[in-house]
Amino acid sequence: MKEIQIERALRISGVLLILGIVVEIISLLWEKPLAFLLFVGVGGALTFVGIVLYLYSLLPPAVESSSQPRPKNS
Amino acid sequence: MRNASRCGECGDIALNLPSPETLLYALLVITAVLIAIIVVRPAITVSVAGKMLAFVAFCILPVLCGSMAASTHIERSKQTKFCLSCHIMEPYGKSLYVDDPAYIPAAHFQNHRVPPDEACYTCHTDYGLYGGVRAKLGGLRHIYIQYFGTPPRPEDIQLYKPYNNRECLHCHAGARSFESNAVHTAIRDQLTSNEMSCISSGCHDTVHNVKEQSKVKFWTPGQ
Repeated sequence: MKEIQIERALRISGVLLILGIVVEIISLLWEKPLAFLLFVGVGGALTFVGIVLYLYSLLPPAVESSSQPRPKNS
Repeated sequence: MRNASRCGECGDIALNLPSPETLLYALLVITAVLIAIIVVRPAITVSVAGKMLAFVAFCILPVLCGSMAASTHIERSKQTKFCLSCHIMEPYGKSLYVDDPAYIPAAHFQNHRVPPDEACYTCHTDYGLYGGVRAKLGGLRHIYIQYFGTPPRPEDIQLYKPYNNRECLHCHAGARSFESNAVHTAIRDQLTSNEMSCISSGCHDTVHNVKEQSKVKFWTPGQ
């Protein structure tokens, strides 16, 4: 189950990164002042979200908290 | 095999290496292909080698590509043709070809006292610390005004603050032609402190003058 979730996160992150790269290539080919805004606003944002999602998928799953109360230090 | 050619004058062999921009495009394509492989076959990330490949493709290469692309964009924005790609700047670009040495930008541009490819950036960059960053932030503001505000007419464009003599002295201070001029040496302290302006104190006051462009003669390169 966990592997499926990781694969799904990898896929989404990969698609975002590929879209970001495509936008970066378009912005480099388009030699106009708006190209820089496209690069930062769209390409940069897609790449950033893609990287963050990938790094998030590397985190270990949260351990469920035990129902038993922790012993108190006397 | 590398593509090499022999120089006609000195006979040395010059390697025809790809430009940094070509390398950037190649890197972007390689990164996209690696990511696509992992997207299609995510199961390869189960092994240690697969995990390392994923980290390189999803993290290191995109950051590297983004940094290189940002650097390319910033370098490109220094070019004269980039500044003149905005319609509003056309008269200022035209003023570089005025056939009158009294026009300071024209005299600098036509005699290559500033690099012709980076003419605007050379004179309109704050030569203080973070000057380049300030210039780029100003550029973003110009784009905002162009598309979302009310851009002024070309002849109504004014500098945000008086032109700093530092931008002139950056090149002229120490130059023989500047130092040997008795007027310059007499008022040097006033020039350094901006008490007296190079361009608005009656000495070198003919700058772009786009308002009077219909009355002047233009120089055509090659004539």
